[in-house]
Amino acid sequence: MKEFIQLMAALFGSLGFAALFNIRGKKLIFATIGGFLSWATYLAAACINANPYFCGFISTVLTTLYAEVMARIVKTPVTVFLVSATIPLIPGAALYRAMNCLMHRNYAGFSKEGTYTLLFAASMSAGITFTTVVFRMIWRQLYSSRSIHIR
Amino acid sequence: MNRREAEEYLYCAMSIGEQLLVSGAEVGRVEDTIRRICLAYGAERADVFSITSSIVTTIYGADFGVCTQTRRVSGMVNDLDRVDQLNQLSREICQEKPTHEEIKEKLIQIQNRPHYSFGIQLLIYALVSGSFSVFFGGDWKDMAASAIIGVLLKFIEAFVKKGSVNSLITALICSTVGGFLANLAVYSGIGDHADLISIGNIMLLIPGIAFTNSLRDMFSGDTITGLIRFMESILLALVIALGFTFAGFILG
Repeated sequence: MKEFIQLMAALFGSLGFAALFNIRGKKLIFATIGGFLSWATYLAAACINANPYFCGFISTVLTTLYAEVMARIVKTPVTVFLVSATIPLIPGAALYRAMNCLMHRNYAGFSKEGTYTLLFAASMSAGITFTTVVFRMIWRQLYSSRSIHIR
Repeated sequence: MNRREAEEYLYCAMSIGEQLLVSGAEVGRVEDTIRRICLAYGAERADVFSITSSIVTTIYGADFGVCTQTRRVSGMVNDLDRVDQLNQLSREICQEKPTHEEIKEKLIQIQNRPHYSFGIQLLIYALVSGSFSVFFGGDWKDMAASAIIGVLLKFIEAFVKKGSVNSLITALICSTVGGFLANLAVYSGIGDHADLISIGNIMLLIPGIAFTNSLRDMFSGDTITGLIRFMESILLALVIALGFTFAGFILG
């Protein structure tokens, strides 16, 4: 039940963010689905391995894949889908808790939450980069071989 | 193409690049777009260098010589619809090669295209804050409180932005007020957990586009830009989180 509520919250949160970035029409729907997918894959990965960094990595890999594919189908820049889809993963709560610990001079808590925030951001960036690089390599191969074939 | 025409077209290409950068496109896309447009109009070589706050382009051609233009880019409006439209425009330009008057006209059209109205933006702020408050474990009372504070933050943000102070100060004011409002909501019994209410509002202000783009920039070879944007977004995130915790610290 908790997971279901979280998924719904992620869905509406991404919808709100996509609208905040002025995405419209059909693209708004796809961007919202992306946000839902990113949290769904995170939860699915959490069933396999409870390590949050691992889940973050897997989730961003799949979310970026979704964004790259949808961008090609709808013919729009990848950023449009990627930004709103990765929103539920951004470690805002951990960052807040880290700052809260700092203000209350709880340095042990600050280092714990701060490390979590930084490492989670790092695993997200690794996931995004991984898919972007691999996807572009494959796409370029396909694209160039096809154009040679036509000519 | 003579020199004056070359300058006009380069000016148009720079305008498109500037708009892209301001609207939240990655630097790689900005450089690529300007280069493609210049090459499409017959430049033999186009060297484009861009960071978050500046673009420099030099084009070379046998008939017009060497031509350089620079733009100082300031401000940031997260508007991905505009990125999309500018991207389409640049594709059209490369295929159909319209005159510079036509390009300028289309740029004005893109700038004047509709935004979500203020009323809908208020709803969006409420939706985002409410959703993320629940997402991180808040109950329905926290959701309601966070949504109300989200709406108030939109008003405050609009008010502060009129004073045209920089984004860091705007974020600091918004988040400090947001923190006090969250604590007030708990005292008056509207919400249950000040921290979960605040987290919903933090997600609203956090620089998501800048953060995601900085990672992409850094790993696609634009290290300088990536680092600048990364530092900017980390600084902004720290200021926001500090603002929200400040109220809780003062009020105990």
